[in-house]
Amino acid sequence: MSAATLRRLIVISLIALWEILPRAGFIPELFLPSLSSTLAAGWNEAGEYGHALAVTLYEVAISMAFACGGGILFGAVVGSLPRPRILIMPMVSSLYAVPLVILYPVFTVWLGIGSESKIAFASIYGFLPTMLATAAGIQTIDPQLLLAARSMGATLSQRLVRVIIPAAIPTVLSGLRVGGALVIVGVVVSEMLISSAGIGYLISRYRTILDSPHVFAGVLLVLAMAIAFNAAIKWIERKAAIWQTGTRAGQSAEETVPAALQPAT
Amino acid sequence: MQPLANITPLKPAGAIEVRNVGQVFKTTTQDVVALEDVSLDVKPGRFVVLVGPSGCGKSTLLMMMAGLRQQTSGTITISGAPIPEPDPNRVGVVFQEASLFPWLTAEENVEFPLALRGIAKSDRRTRAQDALKLVGLDGFGKRHPHELSGGMKQRVSIARGLVQDPPVLLMDEPFAALDEQTRMTMGDELLRIWAATGKTVVFVTHSLTEAVYLADEVIVMSPRPGRIVDHLQVPLPRPRTYEMLSGDTFGSLRDRIWRHIRKSA
Repeated sequence: MSAATLRRLIVISLIALWEILPRAGFIPELFLPSLSSTLAAGWNEAGEYGHALAVTLYEVAISMAFACGGGILFGAVVGSLPRPRILIMPMVSSLYAVPLVILYPVFTVWLGIGSESKIAFASIYGFLPTMLATAAGIQTIDPQLLLAARSMGATLSQRLVRVIIPAAIPTVLSGLRVGGALVIVGVVVSEMLISSAGIGYLISRYRTILDSPHVFAGVLLVLAMAIAFNAAIKWIERKAAIWQTGTRAGQSAEETVPAALQPAT
Repeated sequence: MQPLANITPLKPAGAIEVRNVGQVFKTTTQDVVALEDVSLDVKPGRFVVLVGPSGCGKSTLLMMMAGLRQQTSGTITISGAPIPEPDPNRVGVVFQEASLFPWLTAEENVEFPLALRGIAKSDRRTRAQDALKLVGLDGFGKRHPHELSGGMKQRVSIARGLVQDPPVLLMDEPFAALDEQTRMTMGDELLRIWAATGKTVVFVTHSLTEAVYLADEVIVMSPRPGRIVDHLQVPLPRPRTYEMLSGDTFGSLRDRIWRHIRKSA
């Protein structure tokens, strides 16, 4: 049996267990409602969940644009210029060890409990790994490639577009994978803490009234969002970097960077 | 346009003149003299090898001939004109194998210098294919560097250096990363390409055998400060053959170079 088939079997049996165990009474419905009652709960309140999903997706999209756009831009500057690197990198690295969620209450004081405070928090949360990965990606470009380009008469802008950007793509993508995932975490967590809308808010509200099927319906939606994001990144990686396996940067980008960039939550 | 021809000194294409060239690297603690009073004449179509221990400045000298680095004192002219910046129409440069762009195919790598100058796609393709045919890689154009062997990658680099048909080809330890068998084969290949194109070649190497086997003339350099200690002619007939390696002429030339290098090491 191939690994892929085995993986599918494991997922299918987990889903089956989710239905069977609560139904057979091995697990109380309060702890784990069966899959069918979870889906039914979500379906009955489809309007409410739909609205919450729209709010969350909107916050995720804006934060993603800030986190990824800003992260790549700042990472490129910090990675290519030695002076900002010396000044900024140590600060960013130590900031990365701080559980940023402690800042969220401050953001709600500044920006209110609406979408703005979530976007601010999630943007900063996802910005750091994207920036660090981009800076690392640009720093690790083989200087021989730039020398070769220069020997062929490449101007500074040609070197940027034709050498630096394509060479940095694998590391930047791995940074986006971590950064984007953290944006989703940031939005949902901040909704759960202090807010009035969004999936995180629904989960948290239904939990306080011990309505487990509705809590799990929200959890399922967050899961679906994370899986969709992962699939999108995988698709971009395949499109952008067929050559990844052939380079140092490509090989290390797959394994080491996300592992090294695991944040403190 | 007529008067211009009278002003410009009429040197044949491919001639290299190095006059009293010095290079000083300034560090925070002291000035390091990398090259001191180096003078050298290379006639068009000659195969000249620079050999010497690490730190003798042979690669530095080559980078200056390529316009990739400026000398502190003295003058260098290529085909009669100074070379303040890289000029791929006059000088092609071949580096160690790491300098191919891993995200481009062999063909696109060879086209790279043409693309920088905005030459039309179809024209680029034809010229790249001609260059690949010249180096014996007909039919490998669609492969990426990681799908090619070390020797094949180096053939692509040579094709890239030749694609604009410059009269001078500079090679910085191009075969250093190859195993010995591939290295011997590539040496013969390079001599074949050189004979077919009539380029002036300046070739930097650590290997004494490679130096004598390939060269018309061998320039021996010594370090601290980098300067020329010997300039010998290789009277062996062309084409060079493997049997010459064990001959007396070959042995005595190699011994003479080795004595210089041992003295300075």
